[in-house]
Amino acid sequence: MFPSGTMSNSTSMSEEASVSSDTRAHDYNNSMGSLCTPISPPYHQQQQQEPQPKAKKKRSQPGNPDPDAEVIALSPKTLMATNRFVCEICNKGFQRDQNLQLHRRGHNLPWKLRQRSSKEGVRKRVYVCPESSCIHHHPSRALGDLTGIKKHYSRKHGEKKWKCEKCSKRYAVHSDWKAHVKTCGTREYRCDCGTLFSRKDSFITHRAFCDALAEESARLMAATTDAAAATAMTTSISHPLLHHPLFLPFSSCDYLPNPNPNPNCNTSPYQVKPHNPLPSLLHHLPTTISPYLSATMHPLPTTRSATISTAAGGQMGSSMFDAGDPSAWQRSDRLTRDFLGAAAGDTGEEGLLSLTGALGLDLVTAASCDRGDHAKHFVGFPPVTGTWGDC
Amino acid sequence: MSTSRQSEPDDPSANEKWAASLLLDCAKAISEKDSSKIHQLLWMLNELASPYGDCDQKLASYFLQALFCKATESGERCYKTLVSVAEKSHSFESARKVILKFQEVSPWTTFGHVASNGAILEALEGEAKLHIIDISNTYCTQWPTLLEALATRSDETPHLRLTVVVTVSMGGSVMKEIGQRMEKFARLMGVPFELQVVRVASQLGELKEEDLGLREDEAVAVNCIGALRRVGVEERGDFIRMLCNLRPRVVTVVEEEADFTSTRSEYVKCFEECLRFYTVFFEMLEESFAPTSNERLMLERECSRSILSVLACDEDGGGECDRREKGSQWCARLMEAFSPMSFSDDAIDDVRALLKRYRSGWSLLPAQGDDSGLYLTWKDEPVVWASAWKP
Repeated sequence: MFPSGTMSNSTSMSEEASVSSDTRAHDYNNSMGSLCTPISPPYHQQQQQEPQPKAKKKRSQPGNPDPDAEVIALSPKTLMATNRFVCEICNKGFQRDQNLQLHRRGHNLPWKLRQRSSKEGVRKRVYVCPESSCIHHHPSRALGDLTGIKKHYSRKHGEKKWKCEKCSKRYAVHSDWKAHVKTCGTREYRCDCGTLFSRKDSFITHRAFCDALAEESARLMAATTDAAAATAMTTSISHPLLHHPLFLPFSSCDYLPNPNPNPNCNTSPYQVKPHNPLPSLLHHLPTTISPYLSATMHPLPTTRSATISTAAGGQMGSSMFDAGDPSAWQRSDRLTRDFLGAAAGDTGEEGLLSLTGALGLDLVTAASCDRGDHAKHFVGFPPVTGTWGDC
Repeated sequence: MSTSRQSEPDDPSANEKWAASLLLDCAKAISEKDSSKIHQLLWMLNELASPYGDCDQKLASYFLQALFCKATESGERCYKTLVSVAEKSHSFESARKVILKFQEVSPWTTFGHVASNGAILEALEGEAKLHIIDISNTYCTQWPTLLEALATRSDETPHLRLTVVVTVSMGGSVMKEIGQRMEKFARLMGVPFELQVVRVASQLGELKEEDLGLREDEAVAVNCIGALRRVGVEERGDFIRMLCNLRPRVVTVVEEEADFTSTRSEYVKCFEECLRFYTVFFEMLEESFAPTSNERLMLERECSRSILSVLACDEDGGGECDRREKGSQWCARLMEAFSPMSFSDDAIDDVRALLKRYRSGWSLLPAQGDDSGLYLTWKDEPVVWASAWKP
C-alpha cells in the first residue's frame, strides 16, 4: 500500500469510479460512466494548484462538506463492491488500481502508475448515500471521502455479516469486527466502589445499584444542602447478627472482591475504614458524564466529606467495647445512625431475636391449642426452633 | 443423620433420594387421611430435615413445614407469620445483595431480562416516548442494561417512563430506594426518565388500567416477570384482556416452568409437581453458589412461602396467589388476546452470549410446535420460559 500522496491514480478508464482515500483533487476524465452521477454541481471552483512538493491538504471539519465541492452519488452496488480491479493473469482482486498495477509488476506485465496531476477546474468530491431515508442522502450532509461513504453505507444499510463470538455483536465492516474482537472480553470495568467486572452487563447492573453512585449524587447535592448529604449517606438497617458488621457507607466489606474478609471488618465492627470509599469520593471526578449531569455539578465540598469521616471515626473510637455484648452493639449502632441522621424507630436486634427463637414453638403450641385430640399427638413434637420461620 | 434406627431393616436416610420418597408418602397419607401414618412420617421427616444441610435435608425441611400445616390446617396462619418475619428483616441492602449475587452465579433471572429487553427494544424502535409497565419480581434489575442500550444504540435517545407495579408483599422502603437509584442511573446515562410506583392493594388481579396513568402520545410495553402466576387462577383471562386494553406494542412474559394450577384439586399430583420443580431449583442453587453462601440461604427461605401457599393454603386464604403454569398453558391463555411475536436473531444471539458467561449446564431451547417463546434449560430440563406478544 503506497501513500496516496506520492502516487496518482491511473487515468485509464475503468467502469466504476475509483478514488483514493484522501480529499485531494483528482484527475479524471469526465466521462465516468453511468455509475457516477453528479447530483448538483452547485458551484464552479477555481482550484489553486500547489507546486511540488504538495502540501498536505487539511481535512475539512466533519459534518461540514465543502460547499464548492462536487457531489457524487454512487450506487449501492458500487459502494459495496470490493476488489474490483482484477489481475488478468491470476484473477486476484484488488481494492485499488494502484495495488493492481504494482501486482502486475510481479507478472512482468506492463504497469503504469500515474502521478496525480491536478488540473484547473478539478473540484473536491463529496459523496452522498444512495439510501433516501438516510441523513447522508442530502448533499449538505455528504461525506468527504470514498472509503468513508463506503463504510457508512455498509454499517448503516448493509448486512451485518461479521459477528463476535463472545458477545454476539454484529458488524457489517470487516475491519470494525476485527477491531472489536481484539478488545472484546479483555476489557475490565471498574466501579467507583472498587469492584472489577469482566462482564459489561453485570457491571452496568451493579453500578446502577451501587452505593458509590448514590454517594456521588449525594456529594453533588451536599453543595446545596447539608441535610441532603447526611440523609443520602444513611443506610437501611442490616442486622449485625445476620449480616456483616454494621453496614456503614464507609465500610467496604461488601465490595472487596478478595475472598478473605478484611481484618478490620472482623475485629472492630464499628471502626470506620479510613481509606475506601472516601478517597474515591474525594478524587473521583466522573469522566464519562452526561451533559445533563455535568451541567448541574457543583464544586466538590471535599473538606466537608473529610470532616464527616474523621468525626465518625472519632465517635466510633470512643465507643469501642467488647464485640460480644449485643446491647453495646445496639448503643453504638444508635450513635452512628443518629450521627448519620438515620430515622429512629428501626427494629433493632431484640425484635428479630424474639421472632426467630419463638417462631417454631409458636407454631406447635398454636396448633396444639386449637385442635383437640388431633393436635395432642403433635405436642410431643420436638420443638422446632427458628429454622422454619426466620428469614 | 440419626443412628437410633439401626434396628430398622432399611434406614430411610441411607437412600439417595430419601426426602422425596418420605415426603411423597406423607402427602399420600394426608390425602388418604391416614393419621397414624401422617404422624409417623412427619416425625421422621422432622428428625432428618434441616435447612442447613444438603439438598435432601433442605427440601425435607421446607416441604415438611407445608405438610405439617396442611395436616393441622394452619397454613394461613403460618403464611402470615412468614410474611411478617420476611418484612421485618427485608431491606434494600439485603434484597440487592441477594439478587445481584444470584444474577452473577446463575442466568435464572437474567435470561428473561435479556430476552425481554431485546423484544422491547425492537418493538419500540424509533419511538420518542416510551412507557414500560413493569410487573415483576426482580427489583428493577432488568432496567439498567435497557437504559444503557437506549442511551448508546439510538441516534435520538427517547424519553422513558417506567411504571413499577408492586403488591403489598414488597416493602415500601425498598421500592423507594430502588426508585431513587434508577432515577440517578438514568441521569448518569443521559436518558430522560420518569418513574412511578403503583401499589396494588391486595391481589395483582385487581390492577386496573386507570391505576397506570397512561398518556396519549406514548408507546407502551408491558413487562411481566413472574407476574401472571400471582394473578388468581380464575382471574387470569380478565387480567390478560386488561393488558390488551392498554394497547401495548409488546408484552413480554417470563414464567418459571412448572404447573401448580391444573392439578390443584389433586393434592398428591400437585405435590409431586411442586417437589419436582423445587428439587431442580434447589439443586441448581447448590451448584451455582458457594457452599456457605448466605444469599443462597435467603433464596431458599423465600421458596418456603411459595411452597406453603401452594400446598397448605386455600385459594383465597393464603394471601398472595403463586400458582405457576407451564409455557404451553400460558400460550393458550395469551393467544386469546394476543399473537406471538418471535424474538429476533439478534435477541436470541444476546441470550446465547449471556449463557456462555455462566457455568456449563445452561442452554437455550426454542418452543416447539404451536407454542411460542424460548426456554432456558438446566441440564436439559426446561426451567424458565420467556415470550413476547403483540395485540
